[in-house]
Amino acid sequence: MSANRDSASELGLDFFGNMTASISHELKNALAIVNENAGLLGDLALLMEKGRPLSPERLVSLAGNIRRQVQRADDIIRRLNRFAHSAHEPAASTDLGEVLAFTVALADRLATMKGVTLTVEAGEPVTVEVRPFVLENLLWFCLQQLFTAAGSGTTVALAAEAEGATALVRIRCAAGTEVNAAATEVERAGQPLLAELQAQLGVAPAGGELLLRLPVRRVG
Amino acid sequence: MSERVLLIDDEKEFLEVMSERMQTRDIDVTTATSARDALALVEKESYDAIILDLQMPEMDGLQALERLKAINPDLQVILLTGHATVEKGVQAMKLGATDVLEKPADIQTLTEKIRKAHARKIILVEKENEAKIRAILGSKAW
Repeated sequence: MSANRDSASELGLDFFGNMTASISHELKNALAIVNENAGLLGDLALLMEKGRPLSPERLVSLAGNIRRQVQRADDIIRRLNRFAHSAHEPAASTDLGEVLAFTVALADRLATMKGVTLTVEAGEPVTVEVRPFVLENLLWFCLQQLFTAAGSGTTVALAAEAEGATALVRIRCAAGTEVNAAATEVERAGQPLLAELQAQLGVAPAGGELLLRLPVRRVG
Repeated sequence: MSERVLLIDDEKEFLEVMSERMQTRDIDVTTATSARDALALVEKESYDAIILDLQMPEMDGLQALERLKAINPDLQVILLTGHATVEKGVQAMKLGATDVLEKPADIQTLTEKIRKAHARKIILVEKENEAKIRAILGSKAW
């Protein structure tokens, strides 16, 4: 168990690094747009001094651009803050749907880079006792493996449902997608995370879908 | 003579505002939101400089740089990126990038780099023409 914890920590650090690097890149993009809009305001002011007219609508539009990017940056920082805090949260009753939505928000940019769209399907609320950070890490691990299998231009959908004393997470690619290799890799390299969560991974009989089963209550 | 620039970035809003700023500096700007679109443009048109985002969906900046250089090794490509690691920067220069700039970039610095890239392109074209003239002169029995 201790060895699992150590390896889960290593995987956690890797996950944390990937996500914060992606988040900081997203922030830089928002700041770059704010910077250019502010620069354009300066350019237009100089042109106005030289006699070129400047309409109030143009100023309103540029102010709107800046406000939108500030809002975007604020959303990114909120996500970063929630993610940072989740790293030291203990196991607790957690809404599984919320974890799926948050993981998708975290992974969205990296998925887009691979040409993959991530979605979460709404369902009945399911509560599980987990450390959210470890579950986010495992979900990211599964998604990473599926990006190659799914291929560019496809959608990967996540959904949660109750299954007796177990909660089931479905990670579904397009019909016919070969996901066995992805499942094998998660079983192998993601074993410390599966063990930490007392989770089991499988492939749907029809294929194209990873099935992650988590106990609703942790044992031990 | 105004510089012809191809600006490639998946952030549409960034492209719009940046191209307007460049146009106020008498730069003739064409934009592309994907490396794929940019490659198609480069096959048809000539540009004095290409400003390329390092991180883009599907084909990243380094892959795009490699493909652009394969079309025309003399292309002057300036990489503009959110986060330039030293490793990526070195890799980009090895692949033939003219320069690497970090976002948010200073428009003055970027404009200077575009003008330098333009000047470098003129020298390359002149050298190419000179070589062609020498080849013609060498092949004729005057």
